[in-house]
Amino acid sequence: MKIYYKATYTYKLYRMFIQELESFVTTLGNIALLGLEFLKGLRHFPTTFKSIMYQASRFGVSSLPITLSIVGMTSIIIAMQVAGEMVKQGAGNYVGMLVAILMVREEGVIMAGFAIISMIGSSLASEIATMKVTEQIDAIRVLKVNPVHYLFTPRIIAGTLMMPLVVIVASVFGILGGAVASNLVSGLTYKAYFDSVWFGLYMKDLNVCLLKSLTFGFVISLISCSCGMEAKDGAKGVGVATTKAVVWSFVSIVVLDLLFAAMFFY
Amino acid sequence: MGIEVKNLVKSFDKKVILEDLSFKVDDGKILSIIGFSGSGKSTVLKLISGLIEKDSGEIITSGGDIAMVFQYSALFDSLNVFDNISFALQERKDLRGKYTRKELERIVAEKLDLVGLSGIEDKYPSELSGGMQKRVSFARAIVTEPKIILYDEPTAGLDPISSTLIEDYIVRLKNETNAASIVVTHQMSTIRRTADSVLMLYNGHAVFEGTPEELMEQRTPYTKQFVTASIEGPMNMKG
Ligand SMILES: Nc1ncnc2c1ncn2[C@@H]1O[C@H](COP(=O)(O)OP(=O)(O)O)[C@@H](O)[C@H]1O
Ligand SMILES: [Mg+2]
Repeated sequence: MKIYYKATYTYKLYRMFIQELESFVTTLGNIALLGLEFLKGLRHFPTTFKSIMYQASRFGVSSLPITLSIVGMTSIIIAMQVAGEMVKQGAGNYVGMLVAILMVREEGVIMAGFAIISMIGSSLASEIATMKVTEQIDAIRVLKVNPVHYLFTPRIIAGTLMMPLVVIVASVFGILGGAVASNLVSGLTYKAYFDSVWFGLYMKDLNVCLLKSLTFGFVISLISCSCGMEAKDGAKGVGVATTKAVVWSFVSIVVLDLLFAAMFFY
Repeated sequence: MGIEVKNLVKSFDKKVILEDLSFKVDDGKILSIIGFSGSGKSTVLKLISGLIEKDSGEIITSGGDIAMVFQYSALFDSLNVFDNISFALQERKDLRGKYTRKELERIVAEKLDLVGLSGIEDKYPSELSGGMQKRVSFARAIVTEPKIILYDEPTAGLDPISSTLIEDYIVRLKNETNAASIVVTHQMSTIRRTADSVLMLYNGHAVFEGTPEELMEQRTPYTKQFVTASIEGPMNMKG
């Protein structure tokens, strides 16, 4: 009896796995290639200041409300959960420090990252993907303009530079939110809260926070553009590309966050 | 000298789309490429315009720019008509900064006039009808005075009157620019009204080459099947 191995489930699973792996490597490769092309394009800096500013305002304006609500809410939750307990244990003086460390080291950046991915990353990806499936990108190419330089450079520069701004505003907002929540929930005075905020913050924290937000901003806009560029097959392809951009961005910034934590705080 | 294609071969993932295709289009002439969906017509245009790479063969074109008009116009929907048409003049590395705003305005007005539109510089593509979008995309394509113009199904999805208008403008652009043009189409009216010669693609080969009149005469099984739009015949559409 001949066993046709291609009909087995083991083989099918194996094929599926290989295909996933292939598409993973392809995506990674495309992102890297786009990053390279972006860096090459920086040499002649072809994008106008105007279009960077336009993209930057788009990043800032559309992402701040949701970023502030998420970060504000998170810090209020943290303060509510721990402030009461810490005050009871006599550690009320450290609530501000705790919130500040959490905000500056982790929450501010990662929550702003999530907000930026869902507001900006997805809109970048679907914008580029729509241009791709409606042949607008081909039209740019036929007109002898480099689509990476024309479309992506201003978006990636804007994304990289706007991220720290959003993170700073969000972190400050988060720390303020923590103060109000601690005061309301466990009667901690504002003075006690803010005195301890400074205990927890070192210059290094702020520098790492800045570096991290620049990196996240760059990675999110790069991945979003790259995944958008891979779109094919009409309207359905736009959805697929957008989903992919969001998933890849989420995973990437969490992995990067881990690397940052290991590199700078371990 | 126009366009000369010799022994062109192109496949996608082992699927051969074009196999040994050769043809020639002289300056000031229009070649119409016909064939069923999926026969590789758009692929031919993309190869000539350099959007995709050929596997082998030769594509010889007279120097100068190659313009392409896309099936769904592919206007940039975030830019108004003025910026769409002057896109190449504003953004191309070798042209950027070469024109003053006044000159750009003059060139855009001139191109718009060529396609029978004027005064719509401030409109966005979404505010225009399909036929108008198509004509704006003509204007955008010819802004750098190309020597070759490629049209991908220029009348697809348009009502008969808009189609006729588009066909007239294709001929008009040919006369104005003396460019060599290729028009990919399904429509007999477009062939009749624009083409100097016709090439029918099937299975990666040219199964007919001749004048529109010869096509109408239906002297081969292929031309007969195409002109009568018959299911019966040598060409079958898989799927
Ligand atoms: N980028 C691509 N990758 C893989 N297959 C493609 C690609 N472009 C076109 N094809 C395939 O090549 C064939 C010819 O496509 P196309 O030139 O668009 O046909 P037509 O314009 O005549 O309808 C189709 O079967 C299509 O699926
Ligand atoms: Mg086609």
